[in-house]
Amino acid sequence: MSERLTALRETIRQILPQVDGVIGLKTGPAGIVAPYLFKPGHPEMLDSLALWPKEPVPDTLKIIQKAYPNARLAIVCRGCEERGVVEMFKHAQVSLENLTLIGLQCVQEEALFCRCAKPYTVHARVTVGSPIAGVPDPLTEAFAAKSQAEKLAFWKEQFQHCIKCYGCRNICPQCFCNVCALEDEKWVETGRLPLPNPSLYHIIRAMHMTAKCVACRECEETCPAGIPLAIHFRLVARDVKEMFHYETGAVIEQKPPQLLTLEEGDYERSGLP
Amino acid sequence: MTNSIPEFETDSNCFLIIGSNTSEGHPLIATRVLRAKQRGAKVIVLDPRKNQIGHWADVFYTFRPGSDVALFNGLLNIIITEGLADQAFIAERTENFEEMKALVAEFPAERVADLTGVPVEGLYTVARLYATQKPAAILYAMGITQHTTGVDNVKSVANLAMLTGNLGIPGGGVNPLRGQNNVQGSCDMGGLPNVFPGYQPVTNPETIAKFSKAWSSSLPTPNSPLSNKIGLTVTEMISAAGEGKIRALYVMAENPMLSEADINHTRHCLEKTEFLIVQDIFLTETAQLAHVVLPGASFAEKDGTFTNSDRRVQRVRRAVRPVGDSWPDWEIICHLAGKMGAGGFDFVSPQAVMAEVAQLTPSYGGITYERLEELGGLQWPCPTTEHPGTPYLHKNRFSRGLGHFFAVPFKEPAELPDQDYPFTLTTGRIMFHYHTGTMTRRSKKLDSEARQAYLELHPDDAQKIGLNGSRRVRVSSRRGQIELNVRVTERIKPGVVFIPFHFAEAAANVLTNLAIDPIAKIPEFKVCAVRVEALSGTEHRGGTDHRSGESERRTRRDE
Repeated sequence: MSERLTALRETIRQILPQVDGVIGLKTGPAGIVAPYLFKPGHPEMLDSLALWPKEPVPDTLKIIQKAYPNARLAIVCRGCEERGVVEMFKHAQVSLENLTLIGLQCVQEEALFCRCAKPYTVHARVTVGSPIAGVPDPLTEAFAAKSQAEKLAFWKEQFQHCIKCYGCRNICPQCFCNVCALEDEKWVETGRLPLPNPSLYHIIRAMHMTAKCVACRECEETCPAGIPLAIHFRLVARDVKEMFHYETGAVIEQKPPQLLTLEEGDYERSGLP
Repeated sequence: MTNSIPEFETDSNCFLIIGSNTSEGHPLIATRVLRAKQRGAKVIVLDPRKNQIGHWADVFYTFRPGSDVALFNGLLNIIITEGLADQAFIAERTENFEEMKALVAEFPAERVADLTGVPVEGLYTVARLYATQKPAAILYAMGITQHTTGVDNVKSVANLAMLTGNLGIPGGGVNPLRGQNNVQGSCDMGGLPNVFPGYQPVTNPETIAKFSKAWSSSLPTPNSPLSNKIGLTVTEMISAAGEGKIRALYVMAENPMLSEADINHTRHCLEKTEFLIVQDIFLTETAQLAHVVLPGASFAEKDGTFTNSDRRVQRVRRAVRPVGDSWPDWEIICHLAGKMGAGGFDFVSPQAVMAEVAQLTPSYGGITYERLEELGGLQWPCPTTEHPGTPYLHKNRFSRGLGHFFAVPFKEPAELPDQDYPFTLTTGRIMFHYHTGTMTRRSKKLDSEARQAYLELHPDDAQKIGLNGSRRVRVSSRRGQIELNVRVTERIKPGVVFIPFHFAEAAANVLTNLAIDPIAKIPEFKVCAVRVEALSGTEHRGGTDHRSGESERRTRRDE
């Protein structure tokens, strides 16, 4: 780990003079790690550069780009975070212009922790560390092997633990609708714990993440009730790959299958009033 | 808490949760319990309602509100007669065991089952599981303390932990889950009528001398000693104000117009108070009665420390400037003291206040801003700057020497159901609101989760009162009445009804009984007798009761 940290620090040090800032992780008071914008005038801040635990940095990028649309930025991103940035770009949440991706390759220990199939970046031209192969996700595989009745019982039990804190939604870099269906009383019952069974809360999340989830597992990590949320998102992603030949983060130019994009003249040709 | 929150996850092998709606009241502590369960720890939940943590439990029983002492005596008796008590711990660390043993012998399981409603086999299951799965932690909250027998209930909890040797070890202990982020700190700093900071008694001459010397410049005449008289508790103060014994009341960040028992009485008392000052971040129900309102700053607008439930002192850092004319509480107090001509309040920062705290409070002696910056938090007792802090109390020795077993006789609550008021009302909290809703009911999101109070009623009782599809009821007690919507649910014990107390427009505390515990003076929020009558008309079409209340909400919002 420390070799990677040294290499990353050196990489950022070289990029820093060419940009307005580099988004990475920094160790703060009492050893708490949080996203941080390293700025050209202050290379000494890199002494506190950190690698782990990972944070949803694509969201940090979005916030900074929104406030400073013309800023030249670089972002340290792992495989999942790179996928996150790419998908957010496709949904017009971040810009890839004036942005340098610094790919940070995960090590085996991290990949196992995240049960990650793709612990490496594919687009970043600057990378730190050597890419390793993906690891299996025993939780998802064990779930997939269950019978329909067992699956239902599994989620019924898990969703009883939900305290409806909205943490899974709030931390998700791919959750950015202005109006959220989870807050619409027509769909999700309010003021009840445990959630009534069945409740649409988690089902809506699973459906809305279709072709959006980048398998970063931030939702699962943040869940105070320990619900293994990544399981259903990963199985939905598997279906999307089979049915629509779409994998999040893989090809920047490929449009997500659920996005309807009209080209010039499409409307006129459609015959709609 | 005798122990630490992280120990629940790493060390505890059993949890006895009683009088705590943990997953709604303390969700992050519930998370630790759940993670412990995933590694094999057992969870026992006892409560008048099947709350959410009850769904996770390995063993869950409802019991009659206010029968706690009988329940504990029954468990103590089973553990002793089954030979599951920790003899070595009792011999080396405790006293008065025989007296307690003799009393609990009067509580055979059959009698306890009658008194509490927990079946005989259930009592055995709970007693055996708790006594054999060491280390076992007892978690409790207001369900234990808010009774006329609150102190007796806590003594009973301590008996159980001592009997099984579950004190002075990681993962065990007696763990009251404190309700507010800094209520522990507020008590630690002497926010009680009988102690100076660090629980140093005002009746101790040496303590008086020490504080008189340190605070001499604040005293009316230099070198005059501080008072050694024990003051009044909050509940006593309000009644005293109503009787004219107290003429001025300065209320800081408290909303007794919603949080005290018997609100009609509270209103009468506060209206009679000659001079009422309220310091708060919003214009609360209490502030609306005040002669002077001092706007305080919120957590995000000030620097300082909070001390949480497990005695952990942590820094809070200012993120934004105080809004409008609001000031941090310490600045208001220091400024006021200056206006009144008192010296010794010329602190330049919260850090300077903390330095004085460390100087005068042995348990905070080693807690400094520098160390908090480095370590993130420190748990008292922390007497010196080399001391690492104390994750769990009573290792090898209790603060008084030996642990004292109390023989605790069973007393019924002050008001029991009768022909006129046939239901037992118990009050509590819900996930989406905090205490009197001063903050949470002003949050759009939390308001949309729960806009109104409701009554939980068992289906059998719904039939008894002839609810007949109506969703609206009138609930009355000897103190007053409120109208609210009803939720018919099997999670509550028949004969018992529940109302969350957050909602001013249907305030549960209009109904509650001001009978207080003789020692702690806490009112009996958890038990009183009420009548429930169905009102005609269906206020709402669904089971959820959020669809009306638009006008209510508009009048509540003062922004």
